[in-house]
Amino acid sequence: MAAVVELTGVSKRFGGTQALAGVDLTIERGTVHALVGENGAGKSTLGKVIAGVIQPDSGEYILAGRAVSLSSPRQALEVGVTMMAQELSLVPARSVVENVYLGIEDHSGPFVRRKELDRRFAVLVKDTGISVPAQAVVGTLPISDRQKVEILRAVARDAGVIVMDEPTARLTGDETAALKSLIRRLADAGRTVIFVSHFLAEVLDIADVVTVMRDGEIIRTSPVGDETEESLIEGMTGRSFSANFPPRRELPGDAKVLLSVGGLTREPAFANVDLVVREGEIVVITGLVGSGRSEVLHTVFGDAPADSGSMTLAGRAFAPRNPAEALRSGLALVPESRKEQGLFLNMSVESNITMPHLHKLGSFGFVSPGAALDQAEASVEAVGVRTEKVTTPVTSLSGGNQQKVLFARALVEDPVLLLADEPTRGVDVAAKRAIYDLLVSLAERGMGILMVSSETEEVLGLAHRVIVMHEGRVVAEFDGRTVTEEQIMNAAFTTAGRAT
Amino acid sequence: MKPSRRIVNLLGEYGIVWATIVLFLLLAVTTPAFRSGTNLSNVLDQNAIVLIVAVFATITLIAGGFDISLSATFILAPLVAIRVAEHVQSGLLMLLVGAAVGCVIGLVNGLIVSKAQINSFIVTLATSLVIFGIAYLVSDGSILRLPDSTMRALATTKVLGITTSTWIAIVCIGIASVLLHRTRFGRYVFAVGGNQEAARLAGVPVDRVIAFAFILGGMAAGLAGSLNAIRTLTAQASDDFSLVFTVIAAIVVGGTSIAGGYGAIWRTVVGVFFIAFLGNGFNLNGIDPVVQRIVQGLVILFALGIEAYGRRRRTT
Repeated sequence: MAAVVELTGVSKRFGGTQALAGVDLTIERGTVHALVGENGAGKSTLGKVIAGVIQPDSGEYILAGRAVSLSSPRQALEVGVTMMAQELSLVPARSVVENVYLGIEDHSGPFVRRKELDRRFAVLVKDTGISVPAQAVVGTLPISDRQKVEILRAVARDAGVIVMDEPTARLTGDETAALKSLIRRLADAGRTVIFVSHFLAEVLDIADVVTVMRDGEIIRTSPVGDETEESLIEGMTGRSFSANFPPRRELPGDAKVLLSVGGLTREPAFANVDLVVREGEIVVITGLVGSGRSEVLHTVFGDAPADSGSMTLAGRAFAPRNPAEALRSGLALVPESRKEQGLFLNMSVESNITMPHLHKLGSFGFVSPGAALDQAEASVEAVGVRTEKVTTPVTSLSGGNQQKVLFARALVEDPVLLLADEPTRGVDVAAKRAIYDLLVSLAERGMGILMVSSETEEVLGLAHRVIVMHEGRVVAEFDGRTVTEEQIMNAAFTTAGRAT
Repeated sequence: MKPSRRIVNLLGEYGIVWATIVLFLLLAVTTPAFRSGTNLSNVLDQNAIVLIVAVFATITLIAGGFDISLSATFILAPLVAIRVAEHVQSGLLMLLVGAAVGCVIGLVNGLIVSKAQINSFIVTLATSLVIFGIAYLVSDGSILRLPDSTMRALATTKVLGITTSTWIAIVCIGIASVLLHRTRFGRYVFAVGGNQEAARLAGVPVDRVIAFAFILGGMAAGLAGSLNAIRTLTAQASDDFSLVFTVIAAIVVGGTSIAGGYGAIWRTVVGVFFIAFLGNGFNLNGIDPVVQRIVQGLVILFALGIEAYGRRRRTT
């Protein structure tokens, strides 16, 4: 077999994060090649570099023997590479045929030759064995059928290399099985499938070759026959545990229960979630992206009502109908996406910090500018936001300092329970440590902290208790002092509970 | 910051101010009739109506809403007000009734936009049709006249050299300014228009803020409609409905973002005067109205271009 993709020394940085650090990889033609790793290991980035979605900062890319430099997915397609993205990229309001041939329609002058398209589509379906109703409107199809449309689109464009990013993440068991046989057929027909996945059992089942990644580097590439789920997890997580964390304080045995959640359900995001946060306790919910972790936080915060289940806060029934009520009850949230859910990018640092607290910074509906400035300055000082003045636009701050602005906002009214969703995402190492110190000191003062994190290192370094979620269920709960990385990974990647 | 960068910022932030000052000075030098006190107080008087609507519509726009039904409200409100004045001859009452009609329309628009989450342009386009229909019903399709022509004094009496219409506009500018720039509601308006999801997660009562922003715009359109009827002593359902275009043009020329989240009342005031001076200067120099329209359209496009450029810089 011949190499179809050869990468040498490929590197890519995103701000302060080295997503890929000098990756060398060879992929053989006609194979199913899996890329595995933890969240943030660089596997999706690598897939996107191969498909031309992301341009590497440096390195060499040889495709079928010729050096290429792909500047866009469109250009990648011209040389026979395409990607099925995690977020499907179809036009929902148009038919299957129109989507499959979008941009490459047969035409006479400006007129599309519909009959010719229909004929070609029939041939395509016959060749691939993938059947989707030709005239169905894509938006009305289930996700699994839409993925078939994506695959047909890739084949119709005669792509020899197809990158799939988490193609089974949203499929049922039957649909996954169908996709597996399809991938096999594609490979047997000489096409190369690069398969990025979290589900190790699936990888072992589908792939011919598997590449394990960690921290933007390739740990090893081997035939699947040489690997087991255990060996893959070991390869993905085998880093030494760095001392980047403040010392963990022991939780007093008599710490009172602050938040208690029982049987909390919001379909389809999560079901039957039980958890407890005590005063001064840091509880971390971990698991794969999409396992329902953030959704639990948002329901506790009143942002999306539960279908069923109950909550108590400091012993009293608690059912906030909106975030405003949760804030009044003494909760605060640092949301996952700084720019989309957190900051007001048009506004100053001061406005960003004081927005939820204006009712106490003035009277009769007026805002006292002096009181607002004083509050913002005090908060900036307390959290250590580095900014010249509080009147500067929040966008002029670095990512880490923007994140601290969100903490400053959350802490203005001394919440009893702080919810933090991926609190260190996209910040540099120094800001990370500052945020860890802040979280630990808040817990020392008796605040309860319920946070979501994908970084195992962070989970192990901070948590008093670790809750692992998988597909909307709590699958394991561990003592944060004794749990190991392998235990968390085994629970997070478990396939035992997968819906079929 | 590099000096060149600072100049670009000054041009972007305060470009409309410089442009208005330059235009004013240019006209003052070239056109003697322009700088007379009578002409300037006339310009004020003629633009009182637009100012009243524009300053409150600015708040709607910053909150992320776009209210195309302002014109329909501007036409319906005085018809209802005249029907009431047929029984109780009071100009003040007409203003109050006009404002009340506007509040009701604004509330309906605001509730539909916030609760049903439908694009506000489309919602207010649809409600415009309903309001125009009601206007024909209220007026039986005919011209309604004020019962007493002396009521006109309420809008045209001069106090300290400017008309009461102008004074009402000045009070509206003051109220809108304080609301937007000094109150909690004002900050919420910027928050909702800038990032609705972040506003909700920060505990901002998003639906109420949107509803109130539409109520303010409707209120102003109703009040201005009644004031206009008092000035002209008549109103009819088939009146000119171009008000909303003039209003939005002034707001945008002033530099308030049509995408929401950014803007100021003073910007709108300057925008109204820029367009007013432009039109006044053309008139005094006897320039063809057709040419005037073309130039005004080009000016608005230019302002939108500057705004789009500014938005890219603010949010990245």
